[in-house]
Amino acid sequence: MVTMAIAKQTLEDMLRRKILLILLIVAVGMIALGPSVGFLSPRESSVVLKSLGLAVILIAGLLITILAGIQVIPTEIERRTIYTVLSKPVQRYEFILGKFLGGLATVFVMIAAMGVVFLGVVAWQDAHHAVSREMVTGVAMTFFQMMLLGAMAIFFSTFATPVVNFFLTFAIFMVGNMSSVTESLTSNKNPATKLLATVLHYILPNFGNFNIQNKLIHPEQTLSNPTVFIFQNIVYAIIYSAILLLLAILVFDRREV
Amino acid sequence: MAAAVSIQGLTKKYLDVWNKAEIVAVDHLNLEVEEGEIFGFLGRNGAGKTTTIKMLLGLIFPTEGTATVLGRPLGDIEAKAEVSYLPEEAYFYETMSGWDILDFYARLFRIGEPERSKRVQKVLEDVYLDPKAWRRPLRGYSKGMRQRIGIAQALINDPKLLFLDEPTSGLDPIARAELRDVIHNVGKQGKTVFLSSHQLSDVELLCDRISIIHGGRLLALGKISELTAGEKVEIQAEGITNGTVDKIKSLKLEVLQTDGHIRIPAAEANQVSSVIDLVRGAKGTVTAVIPHRRTLEDVFVETVRKAGGDVSAADVKGGEN
Repeated sequence: MVTMAIAKQTLEDMLRRKILLILLIVAVGMIALGPSVGFLSPRESSVVLKSLGLAVILIAGLLITILAGIQVIPTEIERRTIYTVLSKPVQRYEFILGKFLGGLATVFVMIAAMGVVFLGVVAWQDAHHAVSREMVTGVAMTFFQMMLLGAMAIFFSTFATPVVNFFLTFAIFMVGNMSSVTESLTSNKNPATKLLATVLHYILPNFGNFNIQNKLIHPEQTLSNPTVFIFQNIVYAIIYSAILLLLAILVFDRREV
Repeated sequence: MAAAVSIQGLTKKYLDVWNKAEIVAVDHLNLEVEEGEIFGFLGRNGAGKTTTIKMLLGLIFPTEGTATVLGRPLGDIEAKAEVSYLPEEAYFYETMSGWDILDFYARLFRIGEPERSKRVQKVLEDVYLDPKAWRRPLRGYSKGMRQRIGIAQALINDPKLLFLDEPTSGLDPIARAELRDVIHNVGKQGKTVFLSSHQLSDVELLCDRISIIHGGRLLALGKISELTAGEKVEIQAEGITNGTVDKIKSLKLEVLQTDGHIRIPAAEANQVSSVIDLVRGAKGTVTAVIPHRRTLEDVFVETVRKAGGDVSAADVKGGEN
């Protein structure tokens, strides 16, 4: 009950943040305008539409997740609202979980809104471009990717300032999207490069696996078993997020507010 | 009577950014607050009052010492269920309405419906918040209305013990008087109130016992009537020479002279006859003998000054009603 109460309050608070609403409106506007920019690319207009839509959802989702994640705990401390919450019979883990779930619900609502517009635009554009399972999966995988990123932002927010947290989370997202690069560097001859690449490759989350736009843009690329691949990535996101939240709780449990 | 709050040797030290210099915010504090009393916790800005309260609530952790709240160790969840806290200059979620904020806090106490709605309505009525404002977002509230929400959230769980940090600070006289009534009513219900305040007139009206801390150390503790005991007497006279004034000063009394008149603002009761004898012996006239009761402000200022602290107007707000 306590965790859900904090999550509900966080969701309601986040949905009233102007910056997040502006990001959502801009993203929805860009997706809605997708059909009119197809002529700018020599590719087939449907490919441009799908590519643009998923890219906009990813970028807007990324900004919304980072902005929500880095602020959710520092804002409570800065506004001193945390005093009236933690002085009540609230365990610190309930506070962290509530804040995470509230932030996650915010990201879900925003990605869902963008996703509905995206799928609607695709369906409206041409009957031949009917909404496919891959497109729905593409939007869903963006959400799970953001769940993992949000857990990371919450973890950093238990000890880092919002500015440091922003750059840390963003940098990890970028490096985590280049897993093929870090993997290739693990066989580098330079031992320092090899060590760094190995550490980065195995410790940082592999965000690249969540991007399935390529499959939509290049239908000729196929996965041997897409259901298993997607399921594995979802489980990976949940386990990795759980570990990050556990670490966040351990740090926050000893933090003075 | 059992102790609602028991503090033994509570100490909080902070290190500076270089981890070298040590700042002692609370220094081996010993204190007992009895159940059912309204206890005044006084001190200058930075004396360690808020730090002490935050340690008692488990928001920060002591460096040394122990304490119990309602017989339980610091940070205990079961104790927190029976405790409430109004922070100094409390902020609440601006976009939520007064009703929604109290509903949220009631959920944190695991109070289910329909009891939750009943409690929210009752505390809003208890703090005299205009019903028209109940469903309006907090960003449109005045400071006094926000403070009422602060008190209301501190009452939502029907607590046994309330920690109130400067509850009447910055309020207009009417709002202060109303909030004083609320705190007084809370005390009449047998609840314990731990009241940290600069408003000495409020403390004097509300509290049974007080403590004064300075530099994190306890300087005075006791009933207000005991601490303010010992009247001072003001004596006014005229027609005496400088020699007589010197004799009066030799009694270690402050003497103020203007146009042949003298005023001794604070003589002890047992010094009055000596001063009168000296004036009469010099063929002077005693024009007035006025007894003055010591105020809490006098006690506070004397106590802090004795401990080496300067007291500014910001530290003491005694008579602004």
